Amino acid sequence: MVELVPSLLRQELAALAANDERIDGRGRWDSRDIKLETNCLYNAEGSAKVTWGDTIIYAGVKFEIRTPWPDRPAQGSLMCGAELRPVAGRKYEPGPPSPQSIELGRVVDRGIRESGCIDMDSLCIIPGEKVLGVMIDIHVLSDKGNIFDACALGAIAALRTAIVPAERFDIGEDYPLAVSMTPTMCSFTRVGGRFVLDANDEEELGGDERIHITLGDEGHLHSLQKGLKGTFTPAEFDEILGIAQQRCAELANLVNSKEA
Amino acid sequence: MSGAKEGAELRLVTPGEAIGASSGVRAGTGTLIMGDNIIATKVGWVKENNGVTSVDPIHSAYMPRSGDLVIGIVESVRNNLWFADVNGPFNGLLPMSLAPWKVEFGAARQHMDIGDIMLARVQEVDEAHNIVLTMKGVGLRRLKEGIMSEISMNHISRLRGDADSTLRELKEVSDCRIIVGENGRVWVDGDSDGIAFMRTVIDLVRNEGHMATFSASLGALIEDRRNA
Amino acid sequence: MGGYGDVKLLRDDGLRLDGRKVDEMREVKVEAGILPAADGSAWVKHGLNVAVCAVYGPMEAHPRKIQRQDRAVIDVRYNMAPFSTSDRIRPGYNRRSREISKVTAEALESVVLVERYPRSKIRVEIEILAAEAGTRCVGITAAAVALADAGIPMRDLIVGVASGKIEDTVVLDLDKAEDNYGQADLPMGILPTTGEIAFLQMDGDLSVEEYNTCMEYNLKAAREIHELMVDALKRRYNEKNGGEA
Repeated sequence: MVELVPSLLRQELAALAANDERIDGRGRWDSRDIKLETNCLYNAEGSAKVTWGDTIIYAGVKFEIRTPWPDRPAQGSLMCGAELRPVAGRKYEPGPPSPQSIELGRVVDRGIRESGCIDMDSLCIIPGEKVLGVMIDIHVLSDKGNIFDACALGAIAALRTAIVPAERFDIGEDYPLAVSMTPTMCSFTRVGGRFVLDANDEEELGGDERIHITLGDEGHLHSLQKGLKGTFTPAEFDEILGIAQQRCAELANLVNSKEA
Repeated sequence: MSGAKEGAELRLVTPGEAIGASSGVRAGTGTLIMGDNIIATKVGWVKENNGVTSVDPIHSAYMPRSGDLVIGIVESVRNNLWFADVNGPFNGLLPMSLAPWKVEFGAARQHMDIGDIMLARVQEVDEAHNIVLTMKGVGLRRLKEGIMSEISMNHISRLRGDADSTLRELKEVSDCRIIVGENGRVWVDGDSDGIAFMRTVIDLVRNEGHMATFSASLGALIEDRRNA
Repeated sequence: MGGYGDVKLLRDDGLRLDGRKVDEMREVKVEAGILPAADGSAWVKHGLNVAVCAVYGPMEAHPRKIQRQDRAVIDVRYNMAPFSTSDRIRPGYNRRSREISKVTAEALESVVLVERYPRSKIRVEIEILAAEAGTRCVGITAAAVALADAGIPMRDLIVGVASGKIEDTVVLDLDKAEDNYGQADLPMGILPTTGEIAFLQMDGDLSVEEYNTCMEYNLKAAREIHELMVDALKRRYNEKNGGEA
């Protein structure tokens, strides 16, 4: 379902931007409140629930034993997928995975994969025969804006609390999955002509393009994505990258504070 | 509707719950007669008025009735009519003949385009829930400025107050023009400071409109504004 | 039912492996209104099962061909999250979830006053986040609370409950081991006020007497869960509580 954008909403967002204000009273670089809970899903080997303002997502980690890819016989695998099912909002419709949910899953996946936080060699059990596959599934339950950052936070938090069920697989004793970094994502949306951090649903509805930045422990870039119609300037990117550096570090601290 | 939550007899019921014997009373909205009992069909507060028992629901969808003043968003435009989202289960239809302008066939979009906001009245609702809107009437127009917001249907009376007393007070302290549609949409126009104040009020209605403490909280907001 | 014989499910003291009596159900918790994006929502934890339900509507039924001129259509999607079971489930619809969605929709249509909203659609999205036997029942309970929370008129709530048979003994509310190795499972959707049944499935082997005992247990459990549902709905509106999901 294509959402209807009321003309007054765009006007209102532009008027607020002119006064450097936001529709919910936040400052331009303020985030909504975030609540992170881990180990909250009974059947998942690692799990997290993120309540980000009124946006709610769950992430769950599962493992499987599989045969390695022929070209990488001594490496395990990682897969991260997101489901934007109709539960998440009125605008979501049933059917095969939408381009939006595939984009969401892949952007989160890239940030985690490219940070190198999981050593694929460590997932090998018997080279050429048996490796571990790590699967992160993200489930969006309530979309009230900025699901990307919420999903990325949930995914890394679930991963960092995951226990490999080695006993069930007959490969030894259960052990925590080794995750060496905490990549986190920061998203910016153009609202009323300028970028803001953590847009809510109204700002997304009446806004324009968005930029997603995933940074690792040293502030290195691991995944970038520009979505929706619109262009931005290098100077604009420099500004939001500076904000992302601070903000991602705070998010990483939040994840690290949850570890057992 | 408005006083139900603060009256002496507060009784919150849930669907299926027996409210009382069905003899001698009529079943109003939110209720159903089942055998010897009147039962609730919604979550809400029991109300009895002139022998009619009803349930003042806490949440319900907008069901258009003829005569309702509504704020609609244009969803699509044809050569000779507009379809508008009126926050109900079905779109309303505004034919060219009931528009406030003299429109040439095929020129409808020049007057009102997709996403534009209209203040209209429900002209007619037929049995199949087809909704016809009209913009012929005093004050009915395209709303070109200001902001539009949505509140729950059951909070409309909270924003209006008895005989519109709250609404008048809000208009006065905010120095804004305010229209509350029967479909739960609210339009506000004024200077940015007044609009910001009304945004706070609407947030309060959304978050606390169902609570007994609402009137006191709203009173405090208005008082603060007066003293500012 | 997975079969029986070699797995012991009743202890020597007559209690079940998790210490419950034969007519004792697992702990149930209910919260209403936990999803801000939905028109109505609910969260139900039943034993280790967790179901979340969002309701949207009534809205115009699309595509046109599903519209009913005289009433609303209830469009239920029961879905198990990939991480809800011990072996990951591939995302997407399967035969099992389609069947459960269909009979759940029909059960809900029996209590919702669908004739009030001709040509419209009410979307009921049931998501199972953790599964430990009995998820369809937990989903029904969650759906009823979410519909009530959305202000959809209903003549009663509906409660999902199940009884079954393990080691030739009728027990209330099978857990995972009992479901896997038991002899019968009888899930029902019961209208708590009238005692009518709107949802019924069964598989396994039950004598008529055993069926009657199951029925008696289910009715008892439905009344207990009903109180929790009512309490959740009233709590939601008497105070602003966050709820946990």
